[in-house]
Amino acid sequence: MSQQTANVPTVSTPIPDRSDNRALTWAKQQYPLYILVVLLIIAGFSTDAFFTTRNLTNLILQVSVIGIVTLAEFLIVLTGGIDISVGSVVGLAGVLSAGLFGGENVLVAILVAVVVGGIIGLVNGYLVAFRGLEAFIVTLGMLSLARGLVYAYTEGVPVTPGADDFRAIATATVAGIPVIGIIWIAIAIGMWFLVKRTVFGRRVYAVGSNKDAARASGVPVRATLLGVYILAGVLVGFAGFLLASRVGVGTPTAGNLYELNAIAGVVIGGTSLRGGRGRVFGAVVGTLIFGVISNLLVLLNVSTYLQDAFSGALVLVAITLTTLQLRKRRQATLR
Amino acid sequence: MTDEQPVAFHVDAVSKTYPGVRALHDVTLEGYAGEVLAICGANGAGKSTLSKILAGQEPPTEGEVRITGFDRPLRTPADAENAGVLLMHQEPMIVDDFTVGENVWLRDLSAAGGTRAWGLVPRSRREDTERALHTVGLRGVRVDRPASDLGPGLRQMLALSRTQVTDHKVLLLDETTASTTEDHFHDVLQLVERERAAGVAVIFVSHRMDEVFAMSDRIAVLRNGTLIDVVKTSETTPDQVMTLMIGTAVRGLEPPAPLATEAEPLLEVRGLASGSASNIDIDVRRGEIVGLYGLVGSGRSSIARSVSGNQSRDAGTVTLDGKVIEPTSPRDGIRAGIAYLTEDRRREGFVGDFTNGENMTLAAQGKYARGGVVRRDMERRRVVEMIRRFQVKGSQDTLTRTLSGGNQQKVIIAKWLETAPELVILDEPTKGIDVGARLNIYEIVRELAAQGKGVLVVTSEAEEALTLCNRVLALKEGRIVGEFTSADASTDDLIRASLGGAAA
Repeated sequence: MSQQTANVPTVSTPIPDRSDNRALTWAKQQYPLYILVVLLIIAGFSTDAFFTTRNLTNLILQVSVIGIVTLAEFLIVLTGGIDISVGSVVGLAGVLSAGLFGGENVLVAILVAVVVGGIIGLVNGYLVAFRGLEAFIVTLGMLSLARGLVYAYTEGVPVTPGADDFRAIATATVAGIPVIGIIWIAIAIGMWFLVKRTVFGRRVYAVGSNKDAARASGVPVRATLLGVYILAGVLVGFAGFLLASRVGVGTPTAGNLYELNAIAGVVIGGTSLRGGRGRVFGAVVGTLIFGVISNLLVLLNVSTYLQDAFSGALVLVAITLTTLQLRKRRQATLR
Repeated sequence: MTDEQPVAFHVDAVSKTYPGVRALHDVTLEGYAGEVLAICGANGAGKSTLSKILAGQEPPTEGEVRITGFDRPLRTPADAENAGVLLMHQEPMIVDDFTVGENVWLRDLSAAGGTRAWGLVPRSRREDTERALHTVGLRGVRVDRPASDLGPGLRQMLALSRTQVTDHKVLLLDETTASTTEDHFHDVLQLVERERAAGVAVIFVSHRMDEVFAMSDRIAVLRNGTLIDVVKTSETTPDQVMTLMIGTAVRGLEPPAPLATEAEPLLEVRGLASGSASNIDIDVRRGEIVGLYGLVGSGRSSIARSVSGNQSRDAGTVTLDGKVIEPTSPRDGIRAGIAYLTEDRRREGFVGDFTNGENMTLAAQGKYARGGVVRRDMERRRVVEMIRRFQVKGSQDTLTRTLSGGNQQKVIIAKWLETAPELVILDEPTKGIDVGARLNIYEIVRELAAQGKGVLVVTSEAEEALTLCNRVLALKEGRIVGEFTSADASTDDLIRASLGGAAA
């Protein structure tokens, strides 16, 4: 009874220390950034009109609103969910902020937009987290519901806000940089801090990667999910106000198809649609990639229809790249 | 008996290695048409691995499996199907949303044997279906009811009904009777008799001695991945087979002395019922390691999970440190001072995309945060300390999923100890873990007890239960059937108690 089993080998595989070449590891993961750089080079060579102050300012104006929406989408995708109602919510928040209380006061307008977005996030989050419904189908319903409310409220006519300074935020610049762009980057930094440095952020990654393990470890899975949807809703609502502010009126069609751009931007930025993996920086770069492409296609006078085709093709290429990277990593794991 | 029968399958020098574990080592075995071959072994002996290889579910690392009449060695499930191997899983493969009838014919959907996706599903085979169901004892089950209506025992019989509609030369029953009741076992027995008469080679994987002896012609015994012996059933006794199964086992630790009785009680469980367990009374004192030993399905995990809030309980009270607790979620359990180390490491144990550091602090994040913001320096210092203390391979930035099972387990243990629990419940803490890491884990468990925590260890290894624990409670079919200590019992006694003494 005192004999050691000899035929069960103790296998000790040496595990490479990942901290050794952190810079290299980082550089390897930045393929969205390389796509962006290549795109910028192509843009610079194909038209002189690209690297002009005016065009770049324009570019920032174009990407900022969708950039904020993409950050909201990023947070939801990180939990393994998806939100396809963001475009409609941008529209609803926009028209209500311009129309409710006559749009007399910008602060009130912002508040309206944020509250509208937050309520919709609360509904989405409640249904996903506490009723266990699929995020896709919940937000599909919300997509129709919110857009329907937009048309019911506006009757198809753009809503003109009463405040004279309604456009101030969207048109102001600081040292030549549009304020709206600065807001976007500030939110991105805030988002980075949230997901990387806070307990909440850590929980979001844990829930997205392995819900069962998170629950078993005492993570309040449902409360975390609800928080994510509310926060995302608030951001989308705010983006809706910014869009209305940029345009100067609450347009019923505002935010149409934003969900596609947002999801594509998140995915192209390297975030896994299965959840648990992704970086804020990737979502920012993903937004820029789409912004640069559509900007460039406009400058090159490509037809609108072909522009969509280009964007679509790019999504496919980017997703293929992501899977290649994943497969390599999985092989490394098995070895 | 075996001399005049033709060989049906041939296992030739098969070895199987998983990362970190050698599951099978150089197994050579022949099976004959019209014969029932039982494969026996304790938990982790390699029974399941062997049946997976026989069914082509996994290719062997070395060696090959050949089926008479099939020209290649088996490598894939489709090979096995084409060669005429029919596998009955431990968990019946039933599509819940299909009707009973559709489940009988599930094999029609398989890609093996030249089935084409554009082929039509035959419209009505009601008579054939009912006949197939009748032969396995499923009388009075409506063919068009959804399969989800059936209870666990009936589901297994439904799966077995496929033997009636699928051509096969080799029938593999992988612990098929684990979830069936007495009368269904009778149906299985009859089924096996018919199969044998029809010239099918039946392989019956089990650790239930009475069933093995009721059915088989020969018994192959595995231990630690090695084929120990093949004996004729008529020439042996359950006792002899059990001795072969158990053999001389690992003794890396000296068993603990029974605890002084005056130690204060920590956990008191009274009349607990949950899942398959009922009427359970357990006491764990401070500084005591109590083992829960039982076979799969004996209710051992239900007890552990319901005490810690991972599963709801139907009845009973749980008192921890004098306070009655009713945790309804793992979070509640942690707050009450209970840590539950899961049996299913990959699903519930750790977060796949997390590094060692992130996993280790997951259950006690509050300790490393101020105002919801993680204090990374503090977290990092603590993680480095834990990695050194528990001898985890890799650094705090290594992804936990890239580690071996033993190191993953250490990370998970570290995570739970960070919650500063009073009671630590370990569900199969050394499942799939090699000997070296096993001893590490045993030492950690001992240390916990020495610190005055209560430890409850759920295990299916008798040896582990006796060497690690002060007291061992044996479970059988959801009830505690005995209490043992290493001083007054051997692994033999424990195994017999959990099998219900059928062999004694």
